[in-house]
Amino acid sequence: MPPPTSRSADWLAEAGAVFVKEWRCELRTRYALNTLALFAFTTLVVASAGLGPLGASAAVGTPVLPVLLWLILLFAAAAGLPRSFVQEEETHTATALRLAATPSALFCGKLAYGATLMVALEALVAPLFLAMMQLDVAAPGLFVATLLGGGYGLAAANTLIAAMIAQARGRSTLFAVLAFPVTLPLLLLVVELTRNAVAGEPSGGALTQLLLYDATVTVASLMLFPVVWNP
Amino acid sequence: MPGTSLRFTGLRRRFGRLAVLEGVSGAVAEGEALLVTGPNGSGKSTLLRCLAGLLAPDAGTVELTEEGRLLDPAGRRRSVGYVAPDLAFYEELTAGENLAFFSRLRGAPPARGQDLLARLGLPAERQAGALSSGMRQRLRWVWALLHRPRLLLLDEPFQNLDAGGEAAARALLAEHLAAGGLAVVANPSPLELGRAAPNLALG
Repeated sequence: MPPPTSRSADWLAEAGAVFVKEWRCELRTRYALNTLALFAFTTLVVASAGLGPLGASAAVGTPVLPVLLWLILLFAAAAGLPRSFVQEEETHTATALRLAATPSALFCGKLAYGATLMVALEALVAPLFLAMMQLDVAAPGLFVATLLGGGYGLAAANTLIAAMIAQARGRSTLFAVLAFPVTLPLLLLVVELTRNAVAGEPSGGALTQLLLYDATVTVASLMLFPVVWNP
Repeated sequence: MPGTSLRFTGLRRRFGRLAVLEGVSGAVAEGEALLVTGPNGSGKSTLLRCLAGLLAPDAGTVELTEEGRLLDPAGRRRSVGYVAPDLAFYEELTAGENLAFFSRLRGAPPARGQDLLARLGLPAERQAGALSSGMRQRLRWVWALLHRPRLLLLDEPFQNLDAGGEAAARALLAEHLAAGGLAVVANPSPLELGRAAPNLALG
């Protein structure tokens, strides 16, 4: 039996290989990048034109604009992230993956790809959103922490749900049905945290709850994934 | 490859009301190739998917033993070498990049993939999406042998191969069997496979 350190190194090498493969394929096709960026940019322009500095007063903007920001991120993520597993099934590469990859390493590699894709999306959308809405953030540290924690949570939830729906018919409907209960608590948390960051108020226990949500989804995903991935 | 054997007993698999496999049994010992024949739709591919652990049978057992140790379905999936028409690779990546990726997943040395590519005459730098059907079949062979599996599951293994490709693939199969490996080969028509176990006819 190989020593535990060797198995850990093998597992990390597998997860790393999946992560690198995902980005290499993405950079050659730019499917998810283009989908996410186009969706985010379109909704940003619409929101800016309708509710921008001329349409939303400071009193209205602080409670309303964080909701808009997270709706943009939610739907952009939903448009691009589920492709990760669905494409494996549609192009029949899933068979080779099932035979070659350790399920947990595969999931973590895909999750790392989804999380970095979300960070890239947030790095593009958040500054543009703040500038176009002329929204000042009083607590930038909390704002960035919320973006990172919320982005990771969205990536983890979307990756797991994508794996669950990949082999099913009626994927779009199923995705919406499954995503609603999983992402609702996350969205309520990140909207509250973003409002706090904009107003400069303390986060209270919400940041801890966000981290707990991320940890819970990750652990649940690692437990569920082998079951939904394999026959 | 001592202590390796495959035995499957009473395999049954239905898709809805359609019974594809019904009480299928067989066994393969070291150095043997079991040829599974039958017309289209007789369940050859379904049988191989059950043996690989890609499909759970409704009833029956599959016992793959390596070094005297019985593998569970997850271990079976990681262990077998599988060539089948439904096996595809990342079209955005080259053949070499695909193999490098799967070598890392399989824990196989990169030199193994390069050696197999050379033996099957496959250009490593060609994008998988630009490969002809025969070249894709060669890539499936390379992929299946990357991790030196003890059991090869081959579904129409010489499909689309030209004479040179088929000769190279047959040579690799012969080496595998000579080293004590096992193979289950599914084909619509009989094939000459050297030292073979009794054939299994489906349908």
